[in-house]
Amino acid sequence: MTTFIDYLLGGFSSGAVIALFALALVLVWRSTRIVNFAQVGQAMFTTFIALIVQQATGSWFLALLAGLVAGAILGLIVYALVLRPVQRLDTSGSIIATFGVLISLQALAAMIWGGEPQSFPPPVANDGLEIGGRIWPISWYDVLVYVVTAVLVVALTLLFTRTSLGLSMRASAFNPEVAKLSGIRVNRMLAFGWALAGVVGAVAGVLIAPTASLSPNSFDILLIFAFTAAVVGGLDSLIGAVAFGVGTGLVLALVTGYGEAGDAPIVVLILLAITLVVRPGGAFGRGKSRAV
Amino acid sequence: MLEVKQLSVSFGAVRALDAVSLIVPRGEVTAVIGANGAGKSTLMRTLAGLVKPESGSAELDGAVVTGRSPEDIVRTGMALIPEGRSTIPELTVEENLHLGGLWRPSAERKATSAEIYDMFPVLAERRRMRSDTLSGGERQQLAIGRALMCDPTCLLLDEPSLGLAPLIVTQILQLVNQLAREKNLAVLLVEQNAVTALRVATTGIIMNLGTVVRVGTAEEIAADDELRDAYLGS
Repeated sequence: MTTFIDYLLGGFSSGAVIALFALALVLVWRSTRIVNFAQVGQAMFTTFIALIVQQATGSWFLALLAGLVAGAILGLIVYALVLRPVQRLDTSGSIIATFGVLISLQALAAMIWGGEPQSFPPPVANDGLEIGGRIWPISWYDVLVYVVTAVLVVALTLLFTRTSLGLSMRASAFNPEVAKLSGIRVNRMLAFGWALAGVVGAVAGVLIAPTASLSPNSFDILLIFAFTAAVVGGLDSLIGAVAFGVGTGLVLALVTGYGEAGDAPIVVLILLAITLVVRPGGAFGRGKSRAV
Repeated sequence: MLEVKQLSVSFGAVRALDAVSLIVPRGEVTAVIGANGAGKSTLMRTLAGLVKPESGSAELDGAVVTGRSPEDIVRTGMALIPEGRSTIPELTVEENLHLGGLWRPSAERKATSAEIYDMFPVLAERRRMRSDTLSGGERQQLAIGRALMCDPTCLLLDEPSLGLAPLIVTQILQLVNQLAREKNLAVLLVEQNAVTALRVATTGIIMNLGTVVRVGTAEEIAADDELRDAYLGS
């Protein structure tokens, strides 16, 4: 029983980071109706920038800040240089373009920083906490990750549902023409959505780097998990992305714990396939099927 | 007053509007009628800034609007209610309504929305519901309400009768006529449903193949059987 609890606690930590990546995917989907496969590449790149700042200043907080700014800027650059020009084509053109961005960013990172994994020191201890004479697989660092994830979900939900900016973003995504005719600067909203997703992706990258290592391809597998969480959660739902992000983390931990670590991605992909067949709109979606 | 001068639009080799000139005075409805493909919708979309004109201009109370973006044209006081379902189903009634005035200071926006809820009580009752729970006529009220949120001096209505029952069409068009008079709006109404449109309009304009072929009082045009046979196909 205690091993089961250990697995679950471990799963929560990786799940929280998957949830953050899934959130970033949902943000881009909400603002531009495309799935941004470059998201993990952008996060990897901005995390490298954060690492440089960390090494130069020794401050984790400054590193995070640099990561956030870099994430926003990179999001804007990808949107302006790649997505806006291809947007006139169709949705699949845009999605393929995001794959191109992913591969380019990975190649660029390998050229600048090399392919060797680098370590990113955590701001607080990442050792298991000792409670009741036993060491649990949960650290102060994990607690930090949970808190940041929770705060981001609440803040983003409030932004979308309670503010004029959020309403403008949703309207621009649902019906750009009506939004324009209502006086909303649609292109600005789309750019803002990409910048915001870049920020959330950067948070995810900076948070996961200390528990794993940082290399040009180190977040690749997370893309699959985050994509699964976002799609199962309904792509439009922030809460869905987080719930299924954490859920994916739990499934991974249990499969890895009781079976083979290599089986975990396969189990997640099977869950994705089942969801797409049974509920194409996602568990939190409105049941309407869509073309992705 | 909206004044359109020699407005031309081409899509590739096809000339959709050919030197269209017309005047839409404030306080009344001006109806543009004509068969499918006459260029009515292109006229509306060009005025709203969605289509770039090749030449010519449109002036709203003396200020040139052609060549500006749709977002800027709304800010000059001209709002288009596009053809078909122009409400956003995923948003609530209130969100759809407020969309039209998000760029205005929130105090002004709230004052205008209170006015619109007074005008359309059914929207006030359903404000928290998703807009796709409304009937077709209610959705058209919502679309008109959203356009009014920018405190316009000119309203462009593209086929508001599309897909509505005849009784509802009459109600909506009477409402449009009342709005024009009470709020002193310049209303340009595009309709295929000529008989009903001319009943609420002061002036009638007939378009065919991208050009204006006839301008007259609504009564004149409604009474002219030859015109009807030639251009309206009914």
